[in-house]
Amino acid sequence: MAAVESTQDELYQDAASTYGAALERLARAYEADVEIRRDLLQEIHIALWRSFEGFDGRCSLRTWIYRVAHNVAASHVLHQFRARSRMLVGLEELENLPDANSGQHAADRSHALDRLLALIQRLKPLDRHVILSYLEGLDAASIGEITGLSSGNVATKIHRIKALLARQFQGEVGHD
Amino acid sequence: MTEMLNAQEIWQSQPSEGMQMSAEAIRKRATKFERKIWRRNLRESVAAVVVIVAFSYFFVTAHDIPYRITWALFIAGMVWVIVQLYRKGKPKTMPADIGSSTCLEFFRSELERQRDLVKDVWTWYLAPMVPGYVALNVAWAVNRPSKLAVMALLDVCFVVLFIGVWQLNVWAARCLQRSIDQLPSAENPR
Repeated sequence: MAAVESTQDELYQDAASTYGAALERLARAYEADVEIRRDLLQEIHIALWRSFEGFDGRCSLRTWIYRVAHNVAASHVLHQFRARSRMLVGLEELENLPDANSGQHAADRSHALDRLLALIQRLKPLDRHVILSYLEGLDAASIGEITGLSSGNVATKIHRIKALLARQFQGEVGHD
Repeated sequence: MTEMLNAQEIWQSQPSEGMQMSAEAIRKRATKFERKIWRRNLRESVAAVVVIVAFSYFFVTAHDIPYRITWALFIAGMVWVIVQLYRKGKPKTMPADIGSSTCLEFFRSELERQRDLVKDVWTWYLAPMVPGYVALNVAWAVNRPSKLAVMALLDVCFVVLFIGVWQLNVWAARCLQRSIDQLPSAENPR
């Protein structure tokens, strides 16, 4: 029992130190309100710590961590969605957004980040999982393993994400 | 492609507060967090508890058996509803094996759980109130045979309310089913 606890604690410490910042970014993408976001992040950390009791190594530690974090966040979105009756959309619908840069000069990085966050927060949970994983630099195979989507499906979504980001942020983020 | 790389870079270079906890701290937070959820669930049940207290008052002060039976049945119905809400509602804490489900599996199961909750609203939320209401009709008829018209009017309101709540939930279940149908099939092995 003590050995299990010790492994669980060690795994958690490893995860928190390696992926702590990524988890924070993930929480930011799922919740705009600072106070609620802090609660969500705490819930993710607790779920992660608890989950390590049952971690069997059948998938990589990274996959496990992202699954736990995304699943907790998706549950949060579902709950908040019903409470706030907010309309979430898919990547296909976001593709029809007008080009954000038309008639506007490139803004600073923080503005670009705000707009990126606003865009992500409008997405349905599964599409949000994919775009976040993509922004974290994960490859298609890893995204498929985390989300459970087929490689073809992930490839299509990434293609859409790239086109969307290019259209929305072209010239704005490319001139540093 | 340059824009993509920079979008990733902008995303990853966000300032971080660096939330990190020791194993001891996370244990304490987990306990504190559970207490917080418990209090939140309690707050959500307050309305039902207030109704039970009111029904209990009516039960104690009722002058005859039919009315006592009525309030007892209403109380039993409310208790049943609270128990079902507790059992079927939002998971109190995340399951320990949450990391073994892919996002798609987890999301689907959450949507299905919510769909079943609203789809079966008749059996766990509305039907438990029917015995109490039928008993109220009987008690009313026995005690106030001259005012049956008032009870009939109440009956109409009751039926309209029931059907309204039921149909609202049927509609919500359909919306959730649509969301489930739109999910891609799980094609990726774990």
